[in-house]
Amino acid sequence: MKAGGSWRRTADRVYALVSALLGSSALLFLFMVLAVLAVFGVPSIIVNGLNFFTTVIWNPGISTTLTTIRGFPAMSGASYGMLVFFSGTLISSGLALLIGAPLSLGVAIFLTSVAPKRLSTSLSFFVELLAGIPSVVFGFWGFLVLAPLLFNYVEPAMAQYLGFIPGVGGPVYGYGLLASGLVLSLMIVPIVSAISRDAMAQTPVELKEAGMALGMTNWEITRKVVLPYAKTAIIGSLVLGLGRALGETMAVVLVSQSALNVLPKTLYYPINTLSAFMAVTFDSALTDPSGMEVNAIAELALVLFIITTTANIVARLLVRRGFISSAEHLVQV
Amino acid sequence: MKMSSSVNERKRRAISNAVMVVVAVVLMVAGGGVGYFAGAGSGAPVTTTVTAPGATTTVYSITTVYSTGSSTTAATPTLPSSLPAATISETGSTLLYPLFNYWVPGFGATYTNVHINTAGTGSGIGISSAAAGTVQIGASDAYLLPAQMNQYPSLLDIPLAISAQMINYNLPGIPSTTHLNMTGNILAKIYNGTISYWDDSQITAINPGVTLPHQIIHPIHRSDGSGDTFIFTTYLSDTNSWWKTNVGFATSVSFPGIPTAAAYVGNGGMVQGCQATPYCIAYIGVSFMSNTQAAGLGYAYLQNAAGNFVDITQANIQAAAAQMESSTPPNEAISLVYAPGANSYPIINYEYAIVSKTQSDANTALVVRTFLNWCVMPQNGNAPSYLNKVGFVALPSSIATLSYAQIAQIGP
Repeated sequence: MKAGGSWRRTADRVYALVSALLGSSALLFLFMVLAVLAVFGVPSIIVNGLNFFTTVIWNPGISTTLTTIRGFPAMSGASYGMLVFFSGTLISSGLALLIGAPLSLGVAIFLTSVAPKRLSTSLSFFVELLAGIPSVVFGFWGFLVLAPLLFNYVEPAMAQYLGFIPGVGGPVYGYGLLASGLVLSLMIVPIVSAISRDAMAQTPVELKEAGMALGMTNWEITRKVVLPYAKTAIIGSLVLGLGRALGETMAVVLVSQSALNVLPKTLYYPINTLSAFMAVTFDSALTDPSGMEVNAIAELALVLFIITTTANIVARLLVRRGFISSAEHLVQV
Repeated sequence: MKMSSSVNERKRRAISNAVMVVVAVVLMVAGGGVGYFAGAGSGAPVTTTVTAPGATTTVYSITTVYSTGSSTTAATPTLPSSLPAATISETGSTLLYPLFNYWVPGFGATYTNVHINTAGTGSGIGISSAAAGTVQIGASDAYLLPAQMNQYPSLLDIPLAISAQMINYNLPGIPSTTHLNMTGNILAKIYNGTISYWDDSQITAINPGVTLPHQIIHPIHRSDGSGDTFIFTTYLSDTNSWWKTNVGFATSVSFPGIPTAAAYVGNGGMVQGCQATPYCIAYIGVSFMSNTQAAGLGYAYLQNAAGNFVDITQANIQAAAAQMESSTPPNEAISLVYAPGANSYPIINYEYAIVSKTQSDANTALVVRTFLNWCVMPQNGNAPSYLNKVGFVALPSSIATLSYAQIAQIGP
């Protein structure tokens, strides 16, 4: 009896230890990644300083000549600035949100308030299926279909008829900012619409019935009851979608034209993003004998890590608060 | 009541103990990781820098590196009739990748128990994987620069074949049978934005009889690291001093930021991108000639060091290679771009296998040596039946001899 008890206590302790170890592996991994990025990034942080955040030119230097900058080896003339990739990341993701938000909300509203139950169920399934498509497939479609379509028909027409709007006129390229924004917007639709739909579906029936009793139309109920009710969760889902767009790599590589050393001035300009640039440049960075380009890429990764982590934390807080406040509301009703 | 609270107490203590242990493990592993990567990341390059005392900049002169080659002259090696069972891996250049995929079955027909994995990942990864020992053979379109040889002293760069590069363009209204004349100097000015229209006087001056349109030129380059970028920017550096001092040559360079420029991944992406962009100009490996022709792209006759505009024919590539034969050093790290000679095509290069002198064991070294020798031999891997499929040209015999000598240095 006693021996069995002690054995069980040991088993309990082992169980607690093992599960805590497994449970904390995510934390461990997070710290590992951060530590590696920080260690690799330090030479670049010291060498480039604030210029990294304020300059446009990304120049690994002349490959035949090594030099030492602030105690670290680098190729002569090396100077690294992330402005092209940073601005490209923010602008393309912002554009994706601008296009994707109304689209996703439309999907969510249709699914919760307009579509009959059977249609809503099957349609939801397809929207969620969209979320499972690998990003490279979106990129492939963007490369083969979307960008040529934009180049041949859409962008020339936009430049001609809407050219008076700043940033919409000028020469068109097909592959570039607009194509990237469109592909990214498609990729965030499933996540935004799924979470918004869930939040909107939680609207208490009593509130909707009250609206009907007041003679509200279907649209008025959606606008004045359902949307305000799910507001916080919807905003959270949008930030979550933004988080996905910010880190998206392969689709952008294929349709952005990978701009270098030039900032976008119109909707059609070639762009580049932090993640896309990291992916395509890493190979040649490995041939930099000073290792400085790898360090600079690590600093890019650090910046991207901070941006997307922040977006994700904010989004999660908003989504949770949205759902909690709806639940509280439900109790009050 | 009391009982349950003490159980809770014990449970809580067990959990807090567990959490303490976990935190300790996290810190230890993270610390170890930091230590490890600190060594790999910033330590390695620091220890291999060869900055002269007192000076902050070291310019490597090419002659200092060329003296390091082995002086043993190996005659044509004889291949063993059979090899021990082994698996070796190759990774790197996407330009060499298709050729390796022809070579491996050809080699495997004789040596049935040798398995060779191939992968097209890019020249940079080929070099760094061979240096790290994760693969036995790294493939690269670029030779090892002096600074890289200092970084990885055990690596050899062994030419396996000769490749060349086209300058392509998409000019509506000009038939692809009409070949424009082009110089490296003008290309550099196009890629840095100094020349922006097709009917610029500098272009029309060397193209009498061709009516060029008043259209903006879209210079296209590779967005991924590429041996094609390496040899193209070498040509620009050889012919334009601004390019040489401000951009230089590498598998990926800081291309001047001009809004009309564009970039694509891979030679296939370049063909597709150039086809989709009227009035573009691009540089594409010769092995994609059938693709560029199917896409309706023209290609230019390039000005060589002798001042002649030459076509990218096999004869002209061989002429250029022959000119560089005698100046190729024993370690074979040399640019073939802008070779002298009346008929030399100006953008050609050796395609390299990057291999470590020290392999994991004697068997692996034997298999790697045999495979590389087989690739270089004119009756085997360098036969036209293989090279013609990808538009490459065989190594001249004296260069093959240098390659055999380098291959002989590979040991356990």
